[in-house]
Parts: sequence; C-alpha cells; structure tokens
Amino acid sequence: MIKFINTNKWFNNRHILKNINLDIAKGEVIVICGPSGAGKSTLLRTINKLEQIDDGEIIVDGMYLSDPKTNLTSLRAEIGVVFQQFNLYPHKTALKNITLAPRKVRGLSKRQARERAIKLLERVGLTHRKDAYPVQMSGGEQQRVAIARSLAMEPKVMLFDEPTSALDPELINEVLDVMTSLAREGMTMVVVTHEIGFAQKVADRVVFMDEGEILEVGSPPDIFLNPKHPRTKEFMSKVFHIPVFGDAEEE
Amino acid sequence: MMKTGVKITLLLLVTTSITSLLLGTFIAVMRISRSRFLRACGTLYVEIFRNIPGLFWLLFFYFLFPELLPPEIGAKLNGYLYYPVVAGILGLTVDNASYVSDILRSGRLAIPHSQREAAISAGLSRMQQYFHVLLPQMYRAALPPLGTRMVHNFKNTSLCMAITAPELTWATQQIESLTFRGIEATALATLFYIALAGVMITLIVTLEKILKIDISSITHSRS
Ligand SMILES: Nc1ncnc2c1ncn2[C@@H]1O[C@H](COP(=O)(O)OP(=O)(O)O)[C@@H](O)[C@H]1O
Ligand SMILES: [Mg+2]
Repeated sequence: MIKFINTNKWFNNRHILKNINLDIAKGEVIVICGPSGAGKSTLLRTINKLEQIDDGEIIVDGMYLSDPKTNLTSLRAEIGVVFQQFNLYPHKTALKNITLAPRKVRGLSKRQARERAIKLLERVGLTHRKDAYPVQMSGGEQQRVAIARSLAMEPKVMLFDEPTSALDPELINEVLDVMTSLAREGMTMVVVTHEIGFAQKVADRVVFMDEGEILEVGSPPDIFLNPKHPRTKEFMSKVFHIPVFGDAEEE
Repeated sequence: MMKTGVKITLLLLVTTSITSLLLGTFIAVMRISRSRFLRACGTLYVEIFRNIPGLFWLLFFYFLFPELLPPEIGAKLNGYLYYPVVAGILGLTVDNASYVSDILRSGRLAIPHSQREAAISAGLSRMQQYFHVLLPQMYRAALPPLGTRMVHNFKNTSLCMAITAPELTWATQQIESLTFRGIEATALATLFYIALAGVMITLIVTLEKILKIDISSITHSRS
C-alpha cells in the first residue's frame, strides 16, 4: 500500500531522512517511535507530500509520488491525516468540519455528506456535539472529530502524528479506543506514538527511528522488550521509566 | 436636492463597500500567493494606490480615464449624466481596496500554517482552501480594522463632490450657494453622516459579537 524506496530528505543541508526503505501492506498497522527530532513527523508527512523528498521514491496505492503526472489532490483525498494539534477549522461546527471535504472533493450532496457525518459522529461518540465549535470542545472531543473528518473521505490510509500527545491524560483513552476499533476493521494505519499499550495491542510492526534512520523494525514485543540496536535499547529503557509515555516527547 | 444627495451617498457607500471588499480580497490573495509575479503585482498595486491620495483617483477617473479609452467610448462616458457617480465609484474602490487588501493580508498572518495543511491533506484544491478555510478566517481575524476602514470609506464618499457627483456634501454646498438655507442643509447633512456612521459601527460590533460566539466559548461543556 505504501512503499518507501531509498528515500532521502534534507532540510538546509541537514540529512533528515536517511535512505528509508519500508513496505507497508494493505490493512497493516505500523507504529513509528523514536526520540524527538528523529524525523518521524517528516517521514509521515512525505506520504501525502506535505513534505517533498529529495531522492528515492514513495509509492502509495500504486501512485508514484515523484511522478509529476500524479494527481496530488486525489492522492491526498485517499489519505487521512490526524495531527497532534487536531487542526479543526475553528469557524466551522463539528458537523461542518466533517462535511466540507466530502462535499467539495468527493462531490457528495449536502444531505449525503450530512448523513455520513452523523454516522461518523455516532461512531466516535459525539452525536450530541455536532453543532459545537472546536473551541467549545475538549481536546479529546476535538481529536475524535478530527478522526471522523478524515474518515468521512473514506480514505485508504490513515496517518496519525502523535494524536494523543497534546491531550490531558484522562482524555487519551477515548481517542485510542477509536483508533483501536479502526485498526480492528482493517484500516491501513501509520501511527507515530509513544503509547506503548496501544502499540502492543494493535500494531503489526513497530518501526524505531533515530536521527533520520530506521534502526529497527519488528513486532511490538521484539522492539519494546527485546530491542537489538543499542540506541533502541537506550530509548526503551528511558521510555519505560517515564510514567506518562506520551509526555516523553514534545514537538 | 438633499434627497438625491442622500440617495447618491448611499449608492456610493453600498457599491464601493462591496466592490472594494471584492477587489481588496483579490489583491490580498495575490499578495499571499505562491507566484512571485502575482505577489509583485499585488504589492505594486498597494504601493501605487495607497500612497496617492484618494482625491487624486477621483479626479483621475473623472478627467483622465475617459481620455485613455477609445474615443467613442470616452465620449459616451463624458456625455453620460451620471458619469461623475461612476468615476466616484471607481476612484473610491481602487483607493479603499488597497487598504482592505493590507488589512486582510495581516488577517492571513493570524492563521496558523497548520490550517492550510489540514485543508491540503483533505484534498481541497487551492481555490477551495481559500474559499472555505482561509478567507473566512481572514475576514474574522480582520473584522475590527476592516470595519473601521469601511467607515473611513463612507466618509470619503464626500470627496466625490470634487467631481460633481451629486452626493450629500455636494448637495449641501449647492443649497448653500443657490438658496439662503445653507445652515439648515449643513445641519441635516451632519446629522445624516453621524447617524449612518453610527448604524455602520453598530452593525460591525453586532457582527463581531455573532462571530465571537462562533469561535469562542459560551456554552463550554467539557465532558
Ligand atoms: N520545515 C523544516 N525546516 C527545517 N528543519 C526541519 C523542518 N521540519 C523539521 N525539521 C527538522 O527535521 C528534524 C526531524 O523533525 P521531525 O520529523 O519533526 O522529528 P520528530 O517528529 O521525530 O520529532 C528535526 O531536527 C527538525 O528540526
Ligand atoms: Mg513529530
């Protein structure tokens, strides 16, 4: 579904992604972890070309990102992105946040888009908040609306960049629960997170990154309990000594 | 004559408020676009129109503009009874639009880049990003200075007397010179200006309140 082939990226002469090779299958759930500044967000953002790569190739659902003929808008319509800071549109209600892209990009009628949005709000447990504006909602509610907004496009892939890092601890689970059910339904997901519990439960593979490199890829127990690479070991020992994992890293 | 004056002033106000908002938005979008050429054009526009007095632009459209057009069209314009009003609309529009674009552009700076990223990621085209995500937020962020600007523009309609557009100030002056009732006319005009500016300010403040409810918390129920 997503394939990185010898992908490289530089920011002002700094090598941020170093020869990334990764093949993500349809329906697979990948968790990416690693210290702050490792390049996790950058890696995620190259998948829908929010960041452009300088070298190599990325293929998403058969579309070659380096090919100038690839239609970026339709590529992006197939890829849902959930950001750390939710990024809901502040001037729109929860419902309107969800219906905008399906109407404008997918060409759904107002009624169809609304019906789809209501179903999704039900699914994330927020039907009663449909007319609320983002500022009137808690972080957990905003993030669930953001997930519903992405799902409304019926994407083939969902990307999550530390979706719970900006949340108060008591609100983290309501978001992880939605993500877990999504994973169970077979959504292809790439998730940057330090929620080890979530990763243990739903990840098919865990990718450990440091300084722009993928150092290790393996099953959750492999990476969390039995890391091979010294830097993975070092990181895991640190993470497991910090009570709230999500707070271990700030953007 | 006063009645016509009021009508023409209202006509100038309503028309130029709309046209300058449209043109100002267009210029603002040019100035924040990706293309260096468009950005340069937008900046050039603002530099030219904001640094030359509005009165000049009224005179320009009244006297010079018809001469620049093909002779037949120019002659037709010059002969048109309401050409002064048309010239007034053009002059006020280009002048006010330069300020509007500046105000909107600063409104753009108030929107975090992440909003565009969300819109891009949703697959919205550039046009759709502007229409549905960026511009609505730009207007909201810029509403207070935008309102002040529109009141300024209202006051500037009186400059159109210089090109004999029969608006309120021109009418007042005519009454003053034709009859001996200049004081009454001036008093009436003054009242009208104060009242209408008051109405405008009230409208703007009300709009601000409505939009604030929009994006800030009143029924805060964190569950
Ligand atoms: N737009 C940018 N311009 C320059 N450097 C950047 C930019 N975005 C990220 N970086 C740098 O790239 C590195 C990786 O960043 P990021 O992908 O955000 O890491 P992570 O998400 O793992 O914390 C960091 O050193 C960061 O400073
Ligand atoms: Mg990051």
